[in-house]
Amino acid sequence: MILLRCPYCREMRSEAELTWGGEAGIMRPADPAIASDTEWTEYLFMRTNTKGWLQEQWCCSAGCGQWFKVERHTVSHQIRQILRFDEAFSDVTIAQEGAA
Amino acid sequence: MSLTGSKRRASGGHIDRSRPISFTWNGKKMQGFEGDSLASALIANGVGIVGRSFKYHRPRGFMALGAEDPNAMVSVRDAHGYTPSIRAGQMPLAEGMEVRSVTGWPSASFDIGALAGLGKPFFGAGFYYKTMMWPNWSWFEPIVRRATGFGRPDGSKESRAAQHQYQAVDVLVVGAGPAGLAAAQGLIGSGLSVLVAEQEQRPGGSLLWEEAEIDGKPGIAWAQDIAKEIKATPGMQILTSTLVAAAYDTNIFTLVQSVIDARGIAAERHITLHAKQVILASGAVERPLLFADNDRPGVMLAGAVRRLIRDYGVAPCKQLVVKTSNDSGWLTAFAAQDAGIKVVAILDTRPRAEAVHLAQAEALGIPVVFEAAITAMKAGRQLRGLTVSTPSGVRKFACDGLAVAGGWTPLIHLACHRGAKPVWNDALQMFTVPELPQGWQASGGVTGCTSLTEALGQSLQAAAKSSQRQAKATPLVKAPAFGGVSLIRRPSGVPANKVWIDHQNDVKLSDVEIAVRENYVSVEHLKRYTTLGMGTDQGRTSNVNGLAMLAHLTGREISEVGITTFRPMVSAIRMGTIAGGHEGDLIAPRRYLPADAVHRRLGADFEDFGWQRPDWYHRPDASDRDTAVALEMAAVRSDVGIFDGSSLGKVEVTGPDAAAFLARFYVSDMATLKPGSVRYSVMLNEEGVIYDDGVVACLGPNHYLAGPTSGHAEAVAAHFERWRQTEWPSSRVAVGNVTSNWCSIAVAGPRARHILAVLNPDFDISPAAFKHMQVREGSWQGIPLRVARVSFTGELQFEISVPSRYAEALYETLLKGDAAGAPRAIGMEAWLRLRLEKGYIHLGSDTNGRTGPTEVGMAALVAKRQDDFIGKRSLTLPFALSDEREQLVGLVAVSGKIEAGARVLAPGCTAPPCKTEGYVTSGCDSPTLGHPIGLALIERGFARQGEEVTLYSNGRTSRARITSPVFYDPENERLRQ
Ligand SMILES: [Zn+2]
Repeated sequence: MILLRCPYCREMRSEAELTWGGEAGIMRPADPAIASDTEWTEYLFMRTNTKGWLQEQWCCSAGCGQWFKVERHTVSHQIRQILRFDEAFSDVTIAQEGAA
Repeated sequence: MSLTGSKRRASGGHIDRSRPISFTWNGKKMQGFEGDSLASALIANGVGIVGRSFKYHRPRGFMALGAEDPNAMVSVRDAHGYTPSIRAGQMPLAEGMEVRSVTGWPSASFDIGALAGLGKPFFGAGFYYKTMMWPNWSWFEPIVRRATGFGRPDGSKESRAAQHQYQAVDVLVVGAGPAGLAAAQGLIGSGLSVLVAEQEQRPGGSLLWEEAEIDGKPGIAWAQDIAKEIKATPGMQILTSTLVAAAYDTNIFTLVQSVIDARGIAAERHITLHAKQVILASGAVERPLLFADNDRPGVMLAGAVRRLIRDYGVAPCKQLVVKTSNDSGWLTAFAAQDAGIKVVAILDTRPRAEAVHLAQAEALGIPVVFEAAITAMKAGRQLRGLTVSTPSGVRKFACDGLAVAGGWTPLIHLACHRGAKPVWNDALQMFTVPELPQGWQASGGVTGCTSLTEALGQSLQAAAKSSQRQAKATPLVKAPAFGGVSLIRRPSGVPANKVWIDHQNDVKLSDVEIAVRENYVSVEHLKRYTTLGMGTDQGRTSNVNGLAMLAHLTGREISEVGITTFRPMVSAIRMGTIAGGHEGDLIAPRRYLPADAVHRRLGADFEDFGWQRPDWYHRPDASDRDTAVALEMAAVRSDVGIFDGSSLGKVEVTGPDAAAFLARFYVSDMATLKPGSVRYSVMLNEEGVIYDDGVVACLGPNHYLAGPTSGHAEAVAAHFERWRQTEWPSSRVAVGNVTSNWCSIAVAGPRARHILAVLNPDFDISPAAFKHMQVREGSWQGIPLRVARVSFTGELQFEISVPSRYAEALYETLLKGDAAGAPRAIGMEAWLRLRLEKGYIHLGSDTNGRTGPTEVGMAALVAKRQDDFIGKRSLTLPFALSDEREQLVGLVAVSGKIEAGARVLAPGCTAPPCKTEGYVTSGCDSPTLGHPIGLALIERGFARQGEEVTLYSNGRTSRARITSPVFYDPENERLRQ
């Protein structure tokens, strides 16, 4: 069971209290009308489906209701970064990755 | 046979002979003592055959005394409920228990299936795959279903309580045997919170029956003292009768604690535990040996025989032979001799030089044979003797019991649940987990260790590491050596079809040979092809022997063969315990309408639509549903009805950017909506599929009220909120779900305005001042009032809202009506049929996961929008433009009924199997029109107006004509009244 501390309300919550929102950093085309079919379907459907460190969206749905961002290892469920939605992930060096 | 049991010793063991317990076995009265398990009590009473095997119905006796036993499946009724299938060793004996065998018919000891040889011709390896394919399976199913299975639920409801608990600790210690207890002792004084979980009723593990002295005390006294110390330490707890059933990501565990009283298992606790650290001291189970006829009742694991004698005071036989491949088996011979059992011989598979207990055996006068192999057993219903091949020739021994010791299998399951990899340790001849999950340590038998001193040392080291302290000194231990590595040998000189590997599923060495011959040489394939290890014992005693044989037959090392995956649960747990209190009325909270009491008084027949809503109302003129629905519809069409629509979603969107914000969600441009106006539209998901529909009311500048579908309000509010936070965070908008804050009572029908007038609203409700698709705010008797003139029925309709706490007063006031009469209460069924006559869509019924706005006739609305809205771009993707899409049309019956769910057959087809081109989404008999009508999603439906189609539903066909979906008042004249 995944436990995350919400960066807004600062409560530690289990995944039963949270909603998973898929990969983070999915950019909606600025003007959908001029996006090509390929650009639009990439935005809709194409995800990296990473085995390893993945940046994703979570919502504190049974708590404060805020969406936030998490960097999680999809195999070990280790959590490396938890950010507010408007914050940017920091680069994590290979050395740290090896240690994790 | 005496009532106290023919095989019970006069003394010895930890049972309390002053406290007899009565129980029945297949209806026969028997007696045991406090401290007995069901298994020990049955054995003490002379029960030798406890069940039948799965395929061949071979008689099966007790092989072990715990969860690892493949044979002793029984059903148990205690004072608190019925357990259809449990291993006898896992159930503590309690007064009044009714115990039955669950295999074999008419009884385990006399089985017709076995006499008839049922199954013999067709139950070999791969049977399921070779035979049970359609159409063959249908021929075999009735026979196989009757002949197999372990126990049947009897339909009774348990009175056993089940609770769910959540806990978090610093350290979880799995097991309270010597290793677990030493680890816990090492943690005393560390200040860490510790939970020690032990599956058995008493702590001590193997110290309950093995000969050991620790710190100058008998092993069991040492264990009891530590258990007391743990209990006395704040922050430390020891839970007995508690199975650690599963380990999940981030060190979450499922524990099941049985609360046992004098009459059985009174309750169970399902504990979800989070542990920062884990010390795995789950021990090991003994491995049987492979030899001819090794499945005969009377063959038991050597450790189980020691436990029967020393823990339960039971002598399972009179003449015992011990067959062993290591030193521990010898200890069984000594224990048996000490208990007055005649030890006929010790048969050791090893050469003489390896045996460390030889001098003691010779001193006790026990005959010893080395390099011995059993080639045949003499047994009918009971073991009578065996034939042994030795280097000096063939010998025969008479005996009624055979103890086998084939080494150990560490209980690594929990670590493997977390993804730890089992690795074959060739030196130990066991699978262990050298690399444990993060935060885990292991000690004792689970590491492959068979020395008590070493196990205690490991535990104290682990405790020291957990608490970041110096390790406590390992206590002085005096215990006989278990020593010696047990090699798994392929039996030679005996037919492979007489060597049993999996005793529950009847997998023999010959089945492994067939699998190998047919190239099922991966361990996962072997498992599925032969069913090896797929029984309820999860192959604890059979897996390693099976894959050792696979390795042997394919010329590989065991390390190359590997082992099958371990999955939760470690052992079966009750479904009722998993469910906890979540059953019946408690499965989910019910949502009641705020005026629920009024509907009950009015005789509503309720249905669960997510909310408890009146389906129809009993009335003197309507005692059945069909009559009531017809009368309710007629009231709306010709007079007036009142309908509680309080469950309708109400989401307030406010702020300077509210209009632009809403415009991004709906197909219609909500930004142009003026205060006092209402607009109906649909909202799409980004893939262009209809996500919700409803009206949006503009209550004033920067103030909107969206009305999502009933039951969808939370989701739509969350949908708004997610887009607000993640895509348009700078929008000055607030979203609030106020669904439960306001009730909403609709009055509909030609006289609806007269009923609204009863409230005497403080605004003009005349047709000229208050038009269709408008909203007004005011007050009623000093409380806030909102009225929207919208229609779901096709008639003049007002939706009247006041704060929910006034719902009953509002409904009662409207229900009284005026001088011309009272409105009739309308239920859901009539309401939905009224909207069907008008052709309004019912989201989720008339739309599905592929339906876009074009398919429900809103293409013109989409075309009108210049700016973007969610999902718009997807509407021009090729799949959205395909003319093969199902479009929503009306259906009028030509012959027969129109039933929701009926398939629309392709032209020219009269009955399935054939291609279908859509389905009926809603259908009913229309009392207003006098014939059946329906809505349907049909491929290219818009272009097929007037075409006749064949409908198929539940074996019946009918004919219908495709029409416009609007059957009633297509000019909307009635809405303008
Ligand atoms: Zn939060």
